[in-house]
Parts: sequence; C-alpha cells; structure tokens
Amino acid sequence: MRFFTATVLGLLVPSLATASNLTTPYQIAVPADFKPPQVFRNTNLVRNTNLEKGYVRETINVVVENIDKQPQSQYYIPFSSEVFDRVGGFEVRDKKAPEKGRFQVEVTEPSSGNQYFVVHLSEPLAPKAQVTLGISYSILAALSPLPATIKQNDQQFLTYTFSAYTPSAYQTVTQKTKLKFPNANVPDYTSTAGLKSGADPERKGATYTYGPYDTAKVTPGTEYPITVRYEFTNPVIAVTRLERDIEVSHWGGNLATEERYWLRNNGSKLANHFSRVEWTFANYQKAPSSAVRELAYPLQPGSVDPYFIDDIGNVSTSRYRPGNGKTAANLELKPRYPIFGGWNYSFKVGWNSDLSRFLRKGAGADSHILKVPFLQGPKMSEGVQYEHVVVRVILPEGAKHVRFETVEGLNSNGLPGSNQIHASLSGFKTYMDTLGRTTLTLEVDSLTDEARDAQLVVTYEHSLTDALRKPLTIIAGVITLFVATWAIGNIDTSIKKR
Amino acid sequence: MSLNEVWEAASAAPFHPVVSKDGQFAVGFNLLLVAVVLTGLFGLNRSFGNLLTLGVPASLAFGFGAVFMICAVGVYV
Repeated sequence: MRFFTATVLGLLVPSLATASNLTTPYQIAVPADFKPPQVFRNTNLVRNTNLEKGYVRETINVVVENIDKQPQSQYYIPFSSEVFDRVGGFEVRDKKAPEKGRFQVEVTEPSSGNQYFVVHLSEPLAPKAQVTLGISYSILAALSPLPATIKQNDQQFLTYTFSAYTPSAYQTVTQKTKLKFPNANVPDYTSTAGLKSGADPERKGATYTYGPYDTAKVTPGTEYPITVRYEFTNPVIAVTRLERDIEVSHWGGNLATEERYWLRNNGSKLANHFSRVEWTFANYQKAPSSAVRELAYPLQPGSVDPYFIDDIGNVSTSRYRPGNGKTAANLELKPRYPIFGGWNYSFKVGWNSDLSRFLRKGAGADSHILKVPFLQGPKMSEGVQYEHVVVRVILPEGAKHVRFETVEGLNSNGLPGSNQIHASLSGFKTYMDTLGRTTLTLEVDSLTDEARDAQLVVTYEHSLTDALRKPLTIIAGVITLFVATWAIGNIDTSIKKR
Repeated sequence: MSLNEVWEAASAAPFHPVVSKDGQFAVGFNLLLVAVVLTGLFGLNRSFGNLLTLGVPASLAFGFGAVFMICAVGVYV
C-alpha cells in the first residue's frame, strides 16, 4: 500500500510552473501638467488615414530632427485620453531600416487631457541629426453612422472627425493628411479656409488630401476639426470580446482551437421593423447591405472537425470547404439571423489540427516549441475590430518554464509591443487531469484584423514523468481496486466456532 | 536567441505522438479488451499470485487504454 500512496502523492505534488518573461502592462507616472521637453522638431509629416474598413488605420511618416544640444532618445506621441484606450496595434519603426524591428514603446498616465506613447529610439539621436519614423496604429470605434437610423435597404454613411493638424508634442514644419475612402461617394466634408492657398482638400477619386500646411508657427496641440461623411454600406463589425483557447494534447497529437465571439454591428440601426421579405429580395439580388450576412473564416491547411455553435445550439447554416491538406480550408459561417446595426450575436467556432505542424522538440530532452497563430478570426473586406482579446494557450499537464514571444516581421504584425500584452499563468482542470494543465493567458485590448497573421511562439518543458501522469493515476486507481477486491475477498465471514 | 529562431532551429524535429490519430481507436480498444479479459480471469481466482500476474497487467492496460480511447472519441487529453 505504501507504494501506491507514494505514487499517488508523487503525482499530486504541484509542479512549479515558472515562467521568466510574463508581462503586465504598466503606465509611467507623470505630473498632472506634464509637457514633453521640446527637444525635437518634425521637419515633415505625412499622415495616411485609411477609412476603407470599419475602423480607422493610420500610418504617419515623420522626419524628426533633434534641436537640443544633447543626444535625445525619447519621442512622445500624444493622444487625447478619450481616444487613447481605443488605439490598437501601436507600432513605431525606423522608416529607413524597418528590418531592425519596432522601437520599444511605453505609455504614460493621463495628464491634462492627454496620454502619451513614449518611443525609445534604439540609439540616441545626435544634435541636428534626423530620423524618419513610421508610426502605425488603428483607432477603434472612431466612426459613427449618420443618419444613426436607416431603412433596411438604405445606403449607410459613416462620419469621422479628426484634426487637420496631426496631434504632435513637437513643432511641425510641414504636414499633410491623405484620406483614403472606400469609394468616391463622399457627400459631406469640411473645406478648410485660410490654411493653405488653393482648394483644400484636393480630391482625386476616393483619395482626399488635406494640406500640405506650413505649420512652423502653429503651437503644438492646436486643433482644426475636420469632419468627413462617406458611404460605407457594409457592416461595422466589432467583437466586444473574443476568447480563444488553443489546447495542446501530446497523447492525442492534436491541437484543438476554440473561439468564443461576442459580436456587434456598430452601423446604423434599423428605422423600421425587420422585414424578412425585403431581406430575401436583397439577398437574391446580392445588394450591398449594412447587415452581417456571412462571415468568411479561412482556416489553416489540415484543419478538421469544425463546429459552429451559438446560444441555441448547432448552427446548420454554415459550409465547410476543407482544403486538400496544402491549401487553406474555408469555413463559411452564416449567422442564425442577419446582424443589423446595434444587433448582437454570440457564437463559438472550433476545429482540430495535427499537432506535428505546430509543435517541435527543442534541443533539451524535455523542451518543446509551439508556434500558433495569435489571432485568426473572419477575413472580411470591411474589417473586424476586437475590443478585448483573451488568448489561452492550454499546455499539457505539468508543463513548466513557459516562455512566449510574438513573432515580428518586416511589417507591422498588428499587435502592440509585448510590454502591452497582459500575460499570466494559471491551471485549468478538465478531463483526466490531476494537477490541472498549465495555461498561459494573454490579454490584449483594441486589436483589429490586421493582427490576423501574427504568430505566437511558446516554449515549455514537459518530461516523460509529466506525460505518464494521466495513465499512472488511472493505473494506481485500478490497482487499488484490485487489491481491495483481493483483500475483501480474503476476509473470512463464515459462521463457525472460534 | 529569440524563440522564433529556436523554432526555426528545431525544424528537423517535429513532434510526433506515441500513437498517431488513426491508430488511437485500435490501440485503445485492444488495451481495454485485454484489461476486461484479465479482470475476468482475476475474478475467477482472486489469489495474491493472480493479483500480480493478472491484476497489475490489467491495470496497466486499462490505464493506457483509457487514455487512448478518450483521445479516439475526440476528447484530446
């Protein structure tokens, strides 16, 4: 019996799931009336605002010059406090050397209505030297429908308000803003007066250019509000919360993925009741609609056993087109009902894949390396914005020394810097578990489908003892049963003289 | 060395499970069958000798068989 007790106790000793690179987002404390030191000047600034999707994507290319007498390395980028939390996937690179990767970025606490991203240049900029920064980010929930209510088959229009002067902590000599609309139907836009000679904006198809302005004498922080209103007869798909579970099974050789969505359409609401007849007509004509009709969901090659379930149960109005093992599979999800502006829909999708495509054995005997997509999600021409994303990587029971990293490429991967990702480790108990599986939870706010191609690498150690924990626990239980049967069978219960 | 470089360096060593997905049901079913038969034989004569010769192998077969069978039915543990 002592052997069994020792075995069972040995199996139950909790493993110390230590990880050395867990991160928690933090904000740098600044005084209430903080103003960044005026050590830089923006010689030339070009802002590209892309409104083709249901969120705003901006890339700013700015030539920055050090006007101080000392080398400087901290460049501040301001956003108003209301917008700051909705800025997603913020990234700054050296435009002339994008292969060097992104600069480290920190965030400050709010001060006098602003919050700053602090960009740490990899090398301090010498006095009078220049560097070209490529700043890219998305702003979620910045577009509002006008009119706010429309009829079922009406065109939908969105408005976007911004400042003609790009918000900057430093003086900017010249700047301009290029707006890219989804189409040339822009019924309303602000025409500026007195900012430059000639027509402002200059229009060319679906591209409007505000500027260039000579702003050498304009105080940093000055605003000149501009509002544009354009046609966008597409749904404005917002995922208020996405929970994505990636479950690794060494015994089964399987990678199970499940995603739970809480979806909302941020477009114009319906003025009248929903008419199924009108909807059927519009569908038949394939007319553009402000409602979500279908979600195209590409899966990686080799994905099998997909499911699509909502609060009621299995949704049969979906099609799965499996790839041939090399080409991507496609999951075409048709929600149970069309999702019009202001309507919500929550559902979950899941599928299995072979683990050998995603897991490799490392140099050490117990070390394993997992590489999985950070985010998958529907691929829609109108774009998808994610307000809060929780990615859980459920590793096998007993996995320890967990480390993670998001893969950086030549271009933005749509994710914020790793110091803005909240990472934690916990246990997760499910079938046949004794200790619970080591779970790495990554939480990110304000993402867009730009992060669809982002990859996540997780390394961990998992020994043979850890692997044998499941069968050994069952074996110990069954042996106990056999011994009990034998012991109880040996008890003499006969009635006789003693 | 970034973790992605570690991944690239390990390209020659993809992870392969002990039993492939296609073989899980056969292995699991046979192990469970062995466990049931051995348990039955133990039931005929519950001696200490049989506990070691039949009970222990039956437990081993049931332990591994249960793990492969639950994987075979789609609960990948």
